[in-house]
Amino acid sequence: MINEQLEEQASLYVLGLLPESELAEFEKQLPGHADLRELVKQLQASADWLALTTPQIVPAADLKSKILAAIDRKSGAPDKIVPLRNSAGFSVWFPWSLAACFAILAAVSFSEKNSVHQEITELHAKVSSLEKNLAALENKDRFSQMRIAVLNSLLENSPKAVAVSVWDKEKQNGVLIVENLQPLPPDKDYQLWVIDSRYANPVDAGVFQVDAAGKVRFQFKPKLPITNFEKVAVSQERKGGVPKAVGPMVLLGS
Amino acid sequence: MNEENAKIDRQLLQQIVGRDRTAFASFYDRYSTVLFSVAVRILRDQKEAEDVLQDVFLQIWEKAENYKAHLGTPVNWTITLTRNKAIDRLRSSQRRHRLAEEFAGESESHSPLPQSGIIDTEKATMVRAAIKNLPTEQRQAIGLAYFGGLTQSEISESLNEPLGTIKARIRRGMLKLRELLEGAL
Repeated sequence: MINEQLEEQASLYVLGLLPESELAEFEKQLPGHADLRELVKQLQASADWLALTTPQIVPAADLKSKILAAIDRKSGAPDKIVPLRNSAGFSVWFPWSLAACFAILAAVSFSEKNSVHQEITELHAKVSSLEKNLAALENKDRFSQMRIAVLNSLLENSPKAVAVSVWDKEKQNGVLIVENLQPLPPDKDYQLWVIDSRYANPVDAGVFQVDAAGKVRFQFKPKLPITNFEKVAVSQERKGGVPKAVGPMVLLGS
Repeated sequence: MNEENAKIDRQLLQQIVGRDRTAFASFYDRYSTVLFSVAVRILRDQKEAEDVLQDVFLQIWEKAENYKAHLGTPVNWTITLTRNKAIDRLRSSQRRHRLAEEFAGESESHSPLPQSGIIDTEKATMVRAAIKNLPTEQRQAIGLAYFGGLTQSEISESLNEPLGTIKARIRRGMLKLRELLEGAL
């Protein structure tokens, strides 16, 4: 049973408006009060949906790479660029280098301003062209690392079941998109297997369920490194999956 | 925001706990726009919003295990993280009252709705309609708290109403919002 006072406190709580004097007492009630917990959860979700009323603004394109670089640093991955500030003797030679650069620039701008400007423009054009070529090559290389497999149904009761898997060899992960597969009872899961001749048994790539319409988009990462992504299969197993496939095979593709 | 999306998000968070950089990048692609939009809405400054977004994603990378499924979906969790960080920054910058006044004076927004594919236009329209259905005084009080980061007494002062009235408006507004959105999302 939730009275008006608790409703009010819950509403203020999810908006971060509950004063310190009431906060601790309110939070103390939560673990032992299931109805109140549920109310807070629902109110919190409702408050968070207010975010949907904001106009869409896409963050700057380079922000993602900055964040990825930051997590790499935190994870201890080596930096590709050694920061100048860490190099020995920085404080000694930097002012002299800067002065030298200024002197050279001044001399150049005095005597060969026009010709240098033209060279710089040409160099910019060359760099831009090289960058485009590099991007195209990287893209080509990226696609060459992808492997696409179509999986067909082995089931009589779901003959229309079909799936497509896209495997990224470099990143060692993939996506499986399934349609028309029969939903399973709660005590069972579908389990994905990758067949690589390096290993005696198919490699576990995780478990999934399909929705009521028989669909799922499942991102997977096999438990072992895959060198030869030869075949991919789905079996029906007990909830949580099994280390070695024992249930009936429902989809197979290569 | 259906169950299928929530399931994918939970899987991604689990992979992030296991230090899966690709899963982290996917999570960023799914939610950076909506989270950034929330931060910009609160701070009215894209540079500061970028800093908040960076803090939020670093926290997701380092503390993904702190997500508790029983308290809501992953996207709710990340929206709460973003809002809290943006409000903290707003509170420290002393710009709160000015921005709150701007918010209180704002008319209905007709700006583009989120269309990221994860948070689709239909759902965003539904939420806007639900908010529009709230009486103006409830909508204002909730908005000043959610986007303006004002305290109860600051809202009371800003709207020139007694504290008890503000609390009651927020209670009625939040319960109404829950009722309007129930089952829709």
